[in-house]
Amino acid sequence: MSADQLPFQVADLSLASFGRKEIQLAEHEMPGLMAVRAEYAPSQPLRGAKITGSLHMTIQTAVLIETLTAIGAQVRWASCNIFSTQDHAAAAVAVGPDGTPDDPRGIPVFAWKGETLEEYWECAELALTWPDDGTNTGPNMILDDGGDATLFVHKGAEYEQAGGVPSPAADDPEEWQIILDRLRNSLADHPGKWTAAAKNIRGVTEETTTGVHRLYEMAKDGTLLFPAINVNDSVTKSKFDNKYGCRHSLIDGIKRGTDVLIGGKVTLVCGYGDVGKGCAESLRGQGARVIVTEIDPICALQAAMDGYQVATLEDVVGTADIFVTATGNRDVITADHMSRMKHQAIVGNIGHFDNEIDMTGLARTPGVKRTIIKPQVDEWTFPAKDGRDGHAVIVLSEGRLLNLGNATGHPSFVMSNSFTNQVIAQVELFTKRDEYDVAVYTLPKHLDEKVARLHLDALGVRLTTLSKEQADYIGVTVDGPYKPEHYRY
Amino acid sequence: MPLMAGLMRRFADTKPFDGLRIAACLHITAETAMMTRLLQAGGAAVSLAASNPLSTQDDIAAALAVNHGIAVFARAGIDRRGYYRHIERALSQGPDLVIDDGGDLVNTLHTRATALLDNVKGGCESTATGVLRLRRMAAEGALAFPVIAAHDTAAKRLVEGTCGTGQSAIDGILRATNTLLAGKAVVVAGFGASGRGVAERARGLGAQVIVTEVDPVRALDASLRGFRVLPMEQAAAFGEVFVTVTGSCDVITADHLKVMRDGAILANAGHFDVEIDVRALENLAVAVHQGVRPHVDAYDLGDGRTVLLLAEGRVVNLVAGEGHPPEVMDLAFGIEALALAWLASNIKKLPVGVHDVPADIDAEAARLVLAASGTTIDALTPAQQAYLESWRIGS
Repeated sequence: MSADQLPFQVADLSLASFGRKEIQLAEHEMPGLMAVRAEYAPSQPLRGAKITGSLHMTIQTAVLIETLTAIGAQVRWASCNIFSTQDHAAAAVAVGPDGTPDDPRGIPVFAWKGETLEEYWECAELALTWPDDGTNTGPNMILDDGGDATLFVHKGAEYEQAGGVPSPAADDPEEWQIILDRLRNSLADHPGKWTAAAKNIRGVTEETTTGVHRLYEMAKDGTLLFPAINVNDSVTKSKFDNKYGCRHSLIDGIKRGTDVLIGGKVTLVCGYGDVGKGCAESLRGQGARVIVTEIDPICALQAAMDGYQVATLEDVVGTADIFVTATGNRDVITADHMSRMKHQAIVGNIGHFDNEIDMTGLARTPGVKRTIIKPQVDEWTFPAKDGRDGHAVIVLSEGRLLNLGNATGHPSFVMSNSFTNQVIAQVELFTKRDEYDVAVYTLPKHLDEKVARLHLDALGVRLTTLSKEQADYIGVTVDGPYKPEHYRY
Repeated sequence: MPLMAGLMRRFADTKPFDGLRIAACLHITAETAMMTRLLQAGGAAVSLAASNPLSTQDDIAAALAVNHGIAVFARAGIDRRGYYRHIERALSQGPDLVIDDGGDLVNTLHTRATALLDNVKGGCESTATGVLRLRRMAAEGALAFPVIAAHDTAAKRLVEGTCGTGQSAIDGILRATNTLLAGKAVVVAGFGASGRGVAERARGLGAQVIVTEVDPVRALDASLRGFRVLPMEQAAAFGEVFVTVTGSCDVITADHLKVMRDGAILANAGHFDVEIDVRALENLAVAVHQGVRPHVDAYDLGDGRTVLLLAEGRVVNLVAGEGHPPEVMDLAFGIEALALAWLASNIKKLPVGVHDVPADIDAEAARLVLAASGTTIDALTPAQQAYLESWRIGS
């Protein structure tokens, strides 16, 4: 299947008008994004940009996509999670503001809710494959969330240099085998495609912690092929999206998935970083008793000082009612843990990848039975043991991001902060390619402050202005930046 | 104290206690001083004794006696015999009305001063503990006059119990120990209005709060608010700070003391000093270091563990702190003064027994407090009033 023949692939184009209405609601809740759209529209700084986006295909992302196109970019898009697409958003983006389902005029989007892993990577490749411009079929910019698009280009180029794709090891995850198969076919059909693409890419702007972690690893190993801006670590992204976004959407996902009363329940939050802090706060706000697990003594102490019991998973595995992983690490909840949980304990993950809960191990447990309650809500029943009925655990979104799988992810206002950073970062890298070495950068603080400033009016915030004397006294200018780089907010 | 100040003007005008003698048994604090002056402004001759031997602020007592002509009988740190002698002297003027805080004055009247009972037309009781005693007296037919249970109104439960005791108990513990509550396991025994206030405020300071309860409804309430609920038997081993707020006795006993962690802090915010079994603590200890800080006694248990008892197990918020802040006492005393004025104007109409504060007095007090803070609220329209009173209108 070539990209030219397939302008888009979504679940149902007839959902476009519903999607458009929600996009219009979201635009009102995304004041920062709409402000940069207005600011850059006259100068069209992204004219000539061919952006491949790999980011949850939601209503909020639709507003991001249409902001990028409004300031000159061409865009191809895939979701970065098999469950996170909102089909009406994808349909509306494919149809576009001026098209109809019979005459779609939007952008090439390849995303639907409930992709298989094969389909997911096919979508990723389609989003990365542009009409041939004579030298190249790749994008010249990547907007990534979790790093899958960046990974695919890097691995493609690496295997092209190596002269072939390696065979998967026996214990490699299923997903890795799928990636290798897809690259093997690509190398056979279009040799040199990814090497050429990587050369042509001016940079990537990365949305999330996990993707940023991958980028820094690649930069350290010397394998990074183009500059990257770490959008995640803008204060107006990580401190807002990770904390306030998850605070909003975690309990939304749990409730939509299970409708269980959270008040009075014992809930375990694994990880007390920005995401874990937001999760713990919202669960407590609902009246849950929150217990935190941590490996980092600083975060553990923070949790204790915030009044949470800090325990190990082993301590409470048999007593907690709801388990949430928010660590960014693997194998946090194992099949063995789940085998020792209370009957109908709820298990969900809000970290980026699906390896925090060992779903593979759960599925391999002898005698375990999976019952689909509804989409993204599975009951896994363990076999009877010692004459007692087997207990069951309820797993949300198959161990993937439950706030996106069971609910609709972060709300528009939070995403406006993240995505305004994304747009500014895309403009920065695309227009100032020569100023950036192949390395990982964060946005300068004055741009971070700009993003925040763009969101104040909508909340009725009245900001105080420093006098010249006050500014001099603390050694800043009246217009900022107001804090040193190392300030942690 | 805007409510009391407003009532002072009203009572000076209406003189609801004209010609009446009022004997009061209250904690001798600045707020009580205001209360006695309010009764005086309303025309009463007031005598006053302390309701706790440790809570008397001597400067306040002196000022009342010297500057305001109140017959005050109170001295900080007085022994038990002196404490009751003071109550008897406050009663000796032959009161028409009484105000009590814990029931010791009413109890004295019914046991050692029965000659004075005939003249007493009624009274108010300020605390839950006192009301419990009164109800038991009434049930046994021992109570000789009508008493209004002024401790318990909807507004008071909220403001005095939850806000007042909640804040001042924490204040007392912090002043006595200067311990950081963040990260500490704080065990709150009792989840009534006051216990809830203590628990919520401890949580607000970053403590991990464990609640113990005997009432399943309150325990469920605590649980649904996200508190860990455990029996004291289990909580005893976890806790670093214990606050008893039950109104009951023997809440922390020898069995609990035996499993407590080294350095555990014991405080009582209930009315009487019976919630923590201090005698058991004394028996377990091999040495007691009194006054390691003001209001902190260290009990060396001889096995490497020392526990700290605050305020000798008496109300920590009054002994180590300053009791309820004025706003709380403003409402409490305002309601009590309004109730007493209502009683004075209804003498002989109310049967002997324990009576609730009429709801319109509670509402009146709350309305006056709101007005003083510049808060105005909506009033029901006649149509809304009719709707609420009708059973005929459905969906």
